[in-house]
Amino acid sequence: MKDADVIVLEEPKLSLSDQFYLPQVLNGLGTTMKHMLRVVVLGKDRVVQYPEEKREDLPIDKGGMLQQTYRGVHRLNKDEEGRVKCVACFMCSTACPAKCIHIEAEESPWPDREKYPGKFDIDELRCIYCGMCEEACPVDAIELTHIYDIVGLTRQEMIFDKSKLLKVYDQTVKNEPM
Amino acid sequence: MSFDPLAWIQHHIPMWFYITVVIHLVVLGGVAYMILLERKVASWVQDRIGPNRVGLGFGIIPVLKDFHFWGLGQPLADGIKFIVKEDYRARGVDAVLFTLAPGVMIITVIISIAVIPWGGVKQATTVFDVTAAAHTGQDPRQAALADLPNSYYGAPPLDAAPNLTPALYNQAVLDNVSVDRIPQLRGPSQTFATVTYRYPFQIADLNIGVLFVLATLSLAVYGVVIGGWASNNKYSFLGGLRATANMISYEIPLGLAVLCIVTMYGTLDLGTIVNLQAHDWLGIIPAWNIFTQPLAFLMFLICIHAEANRAPFDTAEAEQELVGGYHTEYSSMRFALFFLAEYAGMVTTSAVCVALFFGGWHLPWGLTAGIDKSHPEVTTSILMCIFRTLVFLVKTLGIIFIFMWVRWSLPRFRFDQIMMLAWRALIPLSLAQLLMTAIVLHFMWEHHRPNFWIDGRSAVVFFLANAALLALALIISRSLPPPPETNRKIPVPGSRFARTPLPA
Repeated sequence: MKDADVIVLEEPKLSLSDQFYLPQVLNGLGTTMKHMLRVVVLGKDRVVQYPEEKREDLPIDKGGMLQQTYRGVHRLNKDEEGRVKCVACFMCSTACPAKCIHIEAEESPWPDREKYPGKFDIDELRCIYCGMCEEACPVDAIELTHIYDIVGLTRQEMIFDKSKLLKVYDQTVKNEPM
Repeated sequence: MSFDPLAWIQHHIPMWFYITVVIHLVVLGGVAYMILLERKVASWVQDRIGPNRVGLGFGIIPVLKDFHFWGLGQPLADGIKFIVKEDYRARGVDAVLFTLAPGVMIITVIISIAVIPWGGVKQATTVFDVTAAAHTGQDPRQAALADLPNSYYGAPPLDAAPNLTPALYNQAVLDNVSVDRIPQLRGPSQTFATVTYRYPFQIADLNIGVLFVLATLSLAVYGVVIGGWASNNKYSFLGGLRATANMISYEIPLGLAVLCIVTMYGTLDLGTIVNLQAHDWLGIIPAWNIFTQPLAFLMFLICIHAEANRAPFDTAEAEQELVGGYHTEYSSMRFALFFLAEYAGMVTTSAVCVALFFGGWHLPWGLTAGIDKSHPEVTTSILMCIFRTLVFLVKTLGIIFIFMWVRWSLPRFRFDQIMMLAWRALIPLSLAQLLMTAIVLHFMWEHHRPNFWIDGRSAVVFFLANAALLALALIISRSLPPPPETNRKIPVPGSRFARTPLPA
């Protein structure tokens, strides 16, 4: 770094009310009181009462969620014949920064492709929901859906296998067509 | 004579015992709910709602299942959580002091509540049967006074001179006991003595109440220091040190601000100070000290913020620097005691603030004043005492709300700023304030002396003197030399204050 690149900033000059501090304190207290009155008297809070209200039901400008772009639980897409679209190319598991996708390829029973996934497990606890798998997939077989509220009692439950991921597709295909 | 348990209880368990129990239940229960209020205030400031889920059903009572009661069950749930949590103690802590510290803090804070004059003085009249004493030749009046329940005191007539010597006082009390002999148809005549007696509606009617509060509250910092030291943790220790420095610095302006009020009235009795504020100027403006000594009030308010170790003076538990400060190593109920003590300390200091500056239990326009103009604190109705206590508590809640409001509005001061505020601003200003009060009193003495009330004229003089002092302080502070630049231009290599530029 050269000296010419260094920008020395002077501290801003304090005004008279800044120097005596209390006027500025009162100013700040006024601001917070305004917020308090707005919540208590007018009821204008910015809270989503979660289990009763959900972000997907709210308009976007009221803090709603855009379902098309949300990155939640994965799904494995099916083609027109209801077969899994995935061709077990391992692009997603290679791209995955969290190493949460585990695929075991098998010979495809169908004539139009060589391989298909015999096992396709995603550890939803390891996943960081970055969407790299979706980007990497050459056949648009894996996608992230808008579902965010998955729960499980064990870690094993949170490892989604192929059938579970296909079920997520059935569940979300109406809201989010491929 | 058969044993009457009710009479025994009335005679042997003094009134202050009941008041103690009730006040402590109210204060400690209130402290739990203050934590809820604090969270609510925090969320309102931040455009949120705050805890609103835990109702009073606790998943056990099916009827209350669907009612949340604005989160009113939250303190109870918190309490249960604190009690059943693991009481973890790290290796290497000083076991005795570690256990002692929260206790020291909560005990000192709670006993300081004892002298708050919650509800004036209750006056009652009882007729005692003193036939037996009269027969043995004893003075029936003395016998009646001896029969008074514990902790009550006989009252001289209300129009008696206010500053009686103890001997004259006793005589006045004796003179006030009326004795009736009622001849009976059969047998000897019976003697009855009518005694008017009073008891203060507070736990301890100390005549050095202000001193007591200051003394016990400054002991509370020992809890912080001992806790910080016993934790064997450098962050806790730093928190304790900071709390000590805070305390030492802000005790001085706090004491001086209180001293202004004490000088005005010439008494250390919180009850008397409240009574002397229980009138109105021009019939509309309450004679509260916030109007006579606004500057002292401001300094007192700032100092009790620092005393309570709360934002913006909460460097002792600065989360961003010291993990949790002095209570880093504490968990479970021990931590809860520190927490409760902080809030109970707020209650005490706020109550003292109300007593000193907001007229205590007094509402304007004589709404809470008693039967006699020269003794506004005396009332014959227990309901009035309770109403006054409620007024006092509501005012206290107002001050506590200011505490919370300030906490969620202002960022924390840097440590050198805290010290500068105390030593360069508050201490000189409070000294000047005390001097100003003394000067005003000196010139108003003849006018002021007879009843010690602050009447409208003195109030205006005091107010103007405060304003003049503030203006003077502002002018002088402009011409003071600037403070040393601590913590500012440290020539760390690579920073903008580095003396030698970095190699290119």
